[in-house]
Amino acid sequence: MEVGIRGWGAYIPRFRLSALEVAALWGYDGRLPKALGMVEKSVAEEDEDAATMGWYAARVAMRRAGVSGDDIDAVFFGTESKPYAVKPSATIVADALGVKRRKLATDLEFACRAAGEGMRISVGLVKSGLARNTLVIGSDTAQANPGDLLDFTASSGAVAFVVGPASGSAAVIEASVSYVTDTPDFWRRDRSPYPEHAEIFTGEPAYFHHIVSAAKLLMEETGLRVEDFDYAVFHQPNGRFPLQVARMLGIPQEKVLPGLVTPHVGNTYNASALLGLAKLLEEARPRSRVLLVTFGSGAGSDAFSIVVQDSAPELAKMGPRVADMMNSRVRVSYSEYSKFRGLLLKNVGG
Amino acid sequence: MRLSPQQFWRIRENQYRLFITVCGSCGRKAILKRPVCPYCGSDRVHHVESSGLGVLESFTKVYYRRNSSEDDLPKFIGVVRLTEGVRVVGEIVGVGADELREGMEVEAVLRRYASDDPYGVIYYGIKFKPV
Repeated sequence: MEVGIRGWGAYIPRFRLSALEVAALWGYDGRLPKALGMVEKSVAEEDEDAATMGWYAARVAMRRAGVSGDDIDAVFFGTESKPYAVKPSATIVADALGVKRRKLATDLEFACRAAGEGMRISVGLVKSGLARNTLVIGSDTAQANPGDLLDFTASSGAVAFVVGPASGSAAVIEASVSYVTDTPDFWRRDRSPYPEHAEIFTGEPAYFHHIVSAAKLLMEETGLRVEDFDYAVFHQPNGRFPLQVARMLGIPQEKVLPGLVTPHVGNTYNASALLGLAKLLEEARPRSRVLLVTFGSGAGSDAFSIVVQDSAPELAKMGPRVADMMNSRVRVSYSEYSKFRGLLLKNVGG
Repeated sequence: MRLSPQQFWRIRENQYRLFITVCGSCGRKAILKRPVCPYCGSDRVHHVESSGLGVLESFTKVYYRRNSSEDDLPKFIGVVRLTEGVRVVGEIVGVGADELREGMEVEAVLRRYASDDPYGVIYYGIKFKPV
């Protein structure tokens, strides 16, 4: 059975923090935001978290797919900013969406790549007949050590897909492959409030190596060539890396820019590349072929070949579009960002 | 203050989703999934889930901080008339004071309500934001 994306949804909080303000506050050169390809990043409100944002995206995805909670056989929640260290978010979101009790439901963790892996697991479940439809959610309120380089990019957002039979779907997933190694480029130890990273090491042996390897593996296994793809979406830790990795693969910039959201949204971690895919489903011509490659530190990538179907433009009208959410924005100060994201230490209880 | 995980668990369906009770005897509708009609007492009721869409009829600004609340003060509490014709009181989020107006179209969203700080249960529920 061919597998497809039957519906999709996204959520981007309306607040934005300027990269120039981050640079000024922490004493960075004012040219650094441009070097990172960053203008601003999205900031979740105080009562939002990965579960609430994921719920919104999933609700829109189910509406576009035309499915109810009874039609969903599995819920995969990809995040690295779980509201609970122990207690699944997938169960909260599934119950709040009215997904039936006879289901698989779990949180997946692989830095920014868990939701991508959820997509691959879903392809297997649907193809094998073990599930009719699955719900894959990527949602993060990404944290950064204040003043760290990640402070320019770590942001909040969510995306969700209903994966099911290809017939009548918005996009067919015609092939997928994963590439995983043990690479310590980014991590967070137990009880550590913020993640750490290995500076420049996050680039060459981690991001670039895994994305290039997964993309090449996909093309080897399918016989597809770079020119066969109309668009390419890569994980977007900043505004520069996706363009650099595209050059390494010989993909022109104009095929990457339509799916590049990070300069104005930030790195939404598990929603990052998938948010770019959601945008393309709303904008690409039917029959366009999209190369999607996720990346998660630690490290691994999933590469997908996805063909947009005729129904996508009509389905796009059934929910808020990524481009509209990108444009609906209110600037906040670093003080407000600190309050919203709980960076201030206070006495609590009472 | 510690809320009750057990109590919340029992009522979570009405916290997570917007249900409407429709009375088979008097025909009236009421917010929440209820075993009997609040107007005529009949148990001939059935339940439907709201689309979550509605219009903000009235609102007020609140500074009162209850224990275990998130610290998002001041907050806006409004009366929303759902498209199904039922009124519900709820918090209005995702909008500034200068943007709020009566007649504004809103939609239901899942948000945090409160938590047993700092390590207790997080309570989620429905609020409303502009469409």
